[in-house]
Amino acid sequence: MKTNSRRDGLKIIGAVGATCAFPFSADTLYGQHQHPGPGPVQIAPAGPYKSKNFAEPEFALISRVADLIVPPTDTPGAIAAGVPRYIDEVVTANPGHKARFRKGLAKLESAAKAKFGQKFLDLDEKQQIAILTPLSEAADPFFVLIKSMTADGYYTSHAGLVQELGYKGNTVLSGFPECNHPEHRG
Amino acid sequence: MPQKIYDVCVVGSGAAGGTLSAHLAHLGVDVIVLEGGPKINTRTAFNTHGMPYEFPLRHIPTMRPGVAGFESERARGVGGKTMTWNAVAFRLSHRDFKGRSTDGAGEDWPIDYPDLAPYYDRIEREVGVCGNLDHLEDLPDGVFLPPVPMKCSDQIIKRGAAKLGIKIIHVRKATRSVAAGARPACHFCGNCMAGCDVVAKYNSADVHMVPALKTGKLEIRPNSVVREIVVSPENRVTGVKYLDRESLAEGEVRARYVVSACACVQSIALLLMSKSRLYPDGLANSSGHLGRDFIPHFTGGVQCFLDGLKGKPTTDDEGFLDHAYVPSFMHRRKRDYARSFGAQFNYQNRRAVGWARSIPGFGKEYKQAVRDRYPAFVNFSPYGEMLPNRETFVDLDYEMKDQYGLPMSRRTVKWADNDRKIFADMQRWSVEILKSAGAEIHSVSERPATNHELGGCRMGTDPRTSVVNADCRAHDVPNLYVVDGSVFPSASEKNPTLTIMALAARVADHIAERMHRGDKA
Repeated sequence: MKTNSRRDGLKIIGAVGATCAFPFSADTLYGQHQHPGPGPVQIAPAGPYKSKNFAEPEFALISRVADLIVPPTDTPGAIAAGVPRYIDEVVTANPGHKARFRKGLAKLESAAKAKFGQKFLDLDEKQQIAILTPLSEAADPFFVLIKSMTADGYYTSHAGLVQELGYKGNTVLSGFPECNHPEHRG
Repeated sequence: MPQKIYDVCVVGSGAAGGTLSAHLAHLGVDVIVLEGGPKINTRTAFNTHGMPYEFPLRHIPTMRPGVAGFESERARGVGGKTMTWNAVAFRLSHRDFKGRSTDGAGEDWPIDYPDLAPYYDRIEREVGVCGNLDHLEDLPDGVFLPPVPMKCSDQIIKRGAAKLGIKIIHVRKATRSVAAGARPACHFCGNCMAGCDVVAKYNSADVHMVPALKTGKLEIRPNSVVREIVVSPENRVTGVKYLDRESLAEGEVRARYVVSACACVQSIALLLMSKSRLYPDGLANSSGHLGRDFIPHFTGGVQCFLDGLKGKPTTDDEGFLDHAYVPSFMHRRKRDYARSFGAQFNYQNRRAVGWARSIPGFGKEYKQAVRDRYPAFVNFSPYGEMLPNRETFVDLDYEMKDQYGLPMSRRTVKWADNDRKIFADMQRWSVEILKSAGAEIHSVSERPATNHELGGCRMGTDPRTSVVNADCRAHDVPNLYVVDGSVFPSASEKNPTLTIMALAARVADHIAERMHRGDKA
């Protein structure tokens, strides 16, 4: 007997999505492919963290690429926001990503070697950006993967959501304010 | 001691089962509700105010640690989907009930608006629906609490729509805009669908069932996964058999009437599973229509950034999710399809920023582009009405068993020509409205997605083509009822829950009257 503890199956004929209250299609985080952990667990936003999936040089490279995608500005960048750890958690929950990362990182290193004769992490920022730019423009699958995870991890972190984006919700309002901007109305 | 025989056994405790059982109890009927999931404490069970960074994978689990429930459709918990619904509460109109008479396609309901109007009134008074009196023929007004103000972004979209002759109204929701009794007014934390822990938003457990317990007529039996409705050789249902959610121990309840009210697909599955010598193809399925005529709503979706809000300071505008609504307008305009669509929009939770993935580039400019767009992001989602077709149905997959060893229900959906035309048109209009409001279109979904599940156990006058009659009573079995979205013969494009609740109140009156008449079925 095959068992399936997930929600009832949806046999797809033609084009049908899963049933949900709202089509939050683009808001499915990578991490949601797995059942969530016991939580709530406060994530340390910074500080030393040892990867459960990658050797130290690989994880340093992942961290650097994430920080190039969302760099520090007047608010923290990806590393300070704890994105590398988030990526590691997602890879732990979805082991299939590990090989994709390994392959992608190797490609980055060979591009760095071919273009500048050095390891990616030894290049200066301009050179590193020069390696990433063609990957971004060509929608390279590895770049899309690490960018998506970086965006997910950064904008759901305290630094990204609250400091960078200025999220103010999830509070108690005594009433919902009327829009008092004449320019918004007809 | 002989086993107790209840007057009515209700399967399911959501919008349909909760409303129905509470009404029956108040009418003096001895009723037992079997709910597959556990009884939960609304105030402490949900991660209502969670933030994503509190969880390693940034996904906020529905339940707090150690709290069971809501892990499967078959066993959600007492209150069912009303615990996590968005509470949109619309009345259907004459056009919705008489779709076939109006545009020649699909089916008519055997009842019309005046049959349900008094029940809509009653339900709105009980649950508290906020809304504006808009005097629209196609979306009848109700008994409303004061409407909640529209968001800035709603006003911008409303102005854009008005240029196209399209009216946008305040949303109508079963969420209290003013306090009453134990229920406070909504505090606009944006977590309606995470489980409203103060019950400003209606749920059937706290608003209908708990107060009805005082009658002494209502018994709620949680953790009871019903697997069969039992029918006697005399063609009367005599009760149900169920499994304990945890131990899988067998249980049985006997009753004079049985009502399946466990949501569209689950009701269909329960009847299909209830095979007997009399009904080898599933209970009350002599027509062969059980599971057919499945007509879920389909949604489209457009994501955009409003020009007028780009780069502006972020405000706290999650509110109670969507505050405005686009009622159907195409039913009054020239079109090449039957039926119509409406649109919910601006329901995004600002803790979900998935769209940031697909903003081009990387680095400082990318980060600034996301920041500028963040306060301007709007989700827009039209809902279309599907027509029944022979290739769209619900059945059971006996190869796939769930954790209770019961066959999984299976939905097979094929979009027909009319559905595709509506989908294309509603996506086109969504983009037009947003462009007229001044917006950068970010993404447009290319395929319809199923949403509110309706049909499959159709209400009708002809026992050869429908499963239940106008009173939601099975044509085949005189003491069996089905009350939920499965009985809808036509789906309308409007959110169905208020209608399901009105039907439940009407069926409660009907059953109580039969009992008081001495009709013991």
